[in-house]
Amino acid sequence: MSSLLEIRDALRDFYSRHEIYLLPFLKFCLAFLTLFVINMNLGMASRVGNMVLVLLVSLMCACLPVNLLVVIAMIFTIIHFYEISLECAIAGGAVFLLMFLLYYRFSPKDALVVLLMPLFFGIKIPYVVPIVVGLLCPVTGAVSVACGVISYYVIIYMRDNRAIIGSVEADNIVARFRYIIDGLMGNKGVLVVLVAFCAATLMVWVLRRLSINYAWTIAIFAGGVLMVAILMMGGLSYDTGLSMTAIIVGSLISLLLAKVVQFFAFNVDYSRTEQVQFEDDEYYYYVKAIPKNTVSKSKRAVKKITSVI
Amino acid sequence: MLSEERIKLMTKMAAYEENEGKRYMAIGSYFRSDYMGKQIIHSVISATVAFLLVFGLWLFYHMDTLMQDIYRVDLLGIGRKVLEYYVIFVGSYALITYIIYSFRYSRARKSLRKYYNHLKQLLALYDIESGSR
Repeated sequence: MSSLLEIRDALRDFYSRHEIYLLPFLKFCLAFLTLFVINMNLGMASRVGNMVLVLLVSLMCACLPVNLLVVIAMIFTIIHFYEISLECAIAGGAVFLLMFLLYYRFSPKDALVVLLMPLFFGIKIPYVVPIVVGLLCPVTGAVSVACGVISYYVIIYMRDNRAIIGSVEADNIVARFRYIIDGLMGNKGVLVVLVAFCAATLMVWVLRRLSINYAWTIAIFAGGVLMVAILMMGGLSYDTGLSMTAIIVGSLISLLLAKVVQFFAFNVDYSRTEQVQFEDDEYYYYVKAIPKNTVSKSKRAVKKITSVI
Repeated sequence: MLSEERIKLMTKMAAYEENEGKRYMAIGSYFRSDYMGKQIIHSVISATVAFLLVFGLWLFYHMDTLMQDIYRVDLLGIGRKVLEYYVIFVGSYALITYIIYSFRYSRARKSLRKYYNHLKQLLALYDIESGSR
């Protein structure tokens, strides 16, 4: 354990010393990965599928705030939709615009979750996002998770139906538009995933705030179990696009990743919990103090050896 | 002379000013009613644009039937219904805005009060130092 703590402290130290270079580098990686995944899903051959363009935009994003990356990713996605059809661009653009207008006015910092959700869906472990959001974000994080899920399923719907949408008579714009809206609104599987992810986020958020021992660990596992249960029960009735094996394996990996996040964000020693009581003029205080797990740095002693020849 | 206590206090305050203090000071520079009014106006504009967007999509979706029955449908009734939905939607959005931003305002004021207490402490430390000279 102490060696793990040493590694954690070393990593923190490394990050704080090189933050000025690391932050733009991480932003570049995130931007590149996001745009690459969008292109991979919606077509590399499109106007914005050019690798040089992706690299240039990612480099630009390295010096911009993360929220602008979200806007750029949405513009990329809408251009891809436009290549499928104008109606796709209108429907997709409207969904994104509604999310921005109604939710991100309140909580612009959470916009990153909308980016991360499709990325984690891509690597088959989206279950980690609601758990980690429940651990680290305020309760409004559940809405960000919902927005992320909706964004992902809009992209997937357009990708899977591009051939059918293209085959609907080109002169009948309304029929095409109606087909897209019916498809987006009629997918009950999305509702199941939305409910599962939001419920898990809220469950984790509520439990990790409780004043009980191992609150974070309990929150992680309870949230994970609730999410799997809802996904499995919902999966029996509706098509969520997620197989049972994928849900179980993905959830197990997600739980492990959430434990890693916990190790970095909330690492305390419950065996040394102290309960103290005191009072001042106005209040009685009942305080529970749990010490953080830390490791004292080994001091290097420099011995000076001088020899006279 | 350097005072360790004063330096600690100043460092803490500088860190606050750099991080959450920046946001809270911007909020604290408003009177409560002005701040809430500004946020509610923003929300009403956002909600109106969102409502118009959804209404536009709805019109586009039902364009065929609307064009066919344009002379048969009760346009005044539809207009009244749309206005009702608009008022309910914008009203609930404004209410949510009011709750969230009044919570944020009181949190900012509380945090700034702590910051001003630190300022007072700092002033007191300077007074003590100048008195001892």
